[in-house]
Amino acid sequence: MAFKIRAATKEDCKEIFRMITELAVFEKMPDQVKISHEELESSGFCENPLFGCLVAEVPEEHKSKEGFTVVGYGLYFYTYSTWRGRALHLEDLYVMPEFRGRGIGISILSKVAEVAKKMQCARLQLSVLNWNTPSRDFYAAKGAQDLTAAEGWHLIRFDGQSLDNLANDAPKD
Amino acid sequence: MAFKIRAATKEDCKEIFRMITELAVFEKMPDQVKISHEELESSGFCENPLFGCLVAEVPEEHKSKEGFTVVGYGLYFYTYSTWRGRALHLEDLYVMPEFRGRGIGKSILSKVAEVAKKMQCARLQLSVLNWNTPSRDFYAAKGAQDLTAAEGWHLIRFDGQSLDNLANDAPKD
Repeated sequence: MAFKIRAATKEDCKEIFRMITELAVFEKMPDQVKISHEELESSGFCENPLFGCLVAEVPEEHKSKEGFTVVGYGLYFYTYSTWRGRALHLEDLYVMPEFRGRGIGISILSKVAEVAKKMQCARLQLSVLNWNTPSRDFYAAKGAQDLTAAEGWHLIRFDGQSLDNLANDAPKD
Repeated sequence: MAFKIRAATKEDCKEIFRMITELAVFEKMPDQVKISHEELESSGFCENPLFGCLVAEVPEEHKSKEGFTVVGYGLYFYTYSTWRGRALHLEDLYVMPEFRGRGIGKSILSKVAEVAKKMQCARLQLSVLNWNTPSRDFYAAKGAQDLTAAEGWHLIRFDGQSLDNLANDAPKD
């Protein structure tokens, strides 16, 4: 089945948002999506976008059961390593279950890597859940290192009340 | 001892670079720093900076043994959560050993949290090494969640040859 990986447009945001919610369900955190597709549009398609996004598209004759032709996406942003300089973080990589096993996921990942190289990024990083064995195997097979397993890195988060409390403790200028 | 947390200037980059290398030594990865202080200047002090940075400064009469008055830093950048929108990642938080135990680290962290709130970030995230118990306890005491321990998130990286190979596999347009 032919498919195409291309840069997302503002008009793709409804579809990307649909798939963001599908991915949250897969990650067993369905009630965690608090943004809207309009916020996606304003954050990603403005003068200084907060992220970049690629989508996978199939021809009309191969559309999904519900009629969708945008069947996967990779959403990323640039980060900074004080050791290596500019880097890229792949925040989401998703292919609708109906379209898996055809190389779409690996094509999105490779295209994102190509973007990283074009932008002279020293690294491409992402996070994966430890129980998600197919994804962990997928990345390992492509030569990635698991820095949590190998070096002991842990991801730490402040949000909601803990973030407010921390900010309120800041010294006054 | 009085200290001040302020936004870094271009002129601070030599000092920030010095402390980046000190932090890499502490993290047992001293040979990993591949950038220069000039790259820090061009990346952080341009039209679309790749990061923001706060520094901790002490008065001249309290300078370090080697004569430094810039004694700590917090370097951060903005990220994007497809669930929550704009977020902030604290890439490095460091205080010179001679100046620890006086609240400088907490003040830098709180000031970064204040920046996060001002910029309407839903989250402040960072990574910490699992053997770095003082830092893990410090963040936990401030209400942070360890997402690796609690939810199983692992940090994955492609760089060097694995990144090149991935990019070379990208479908041609």
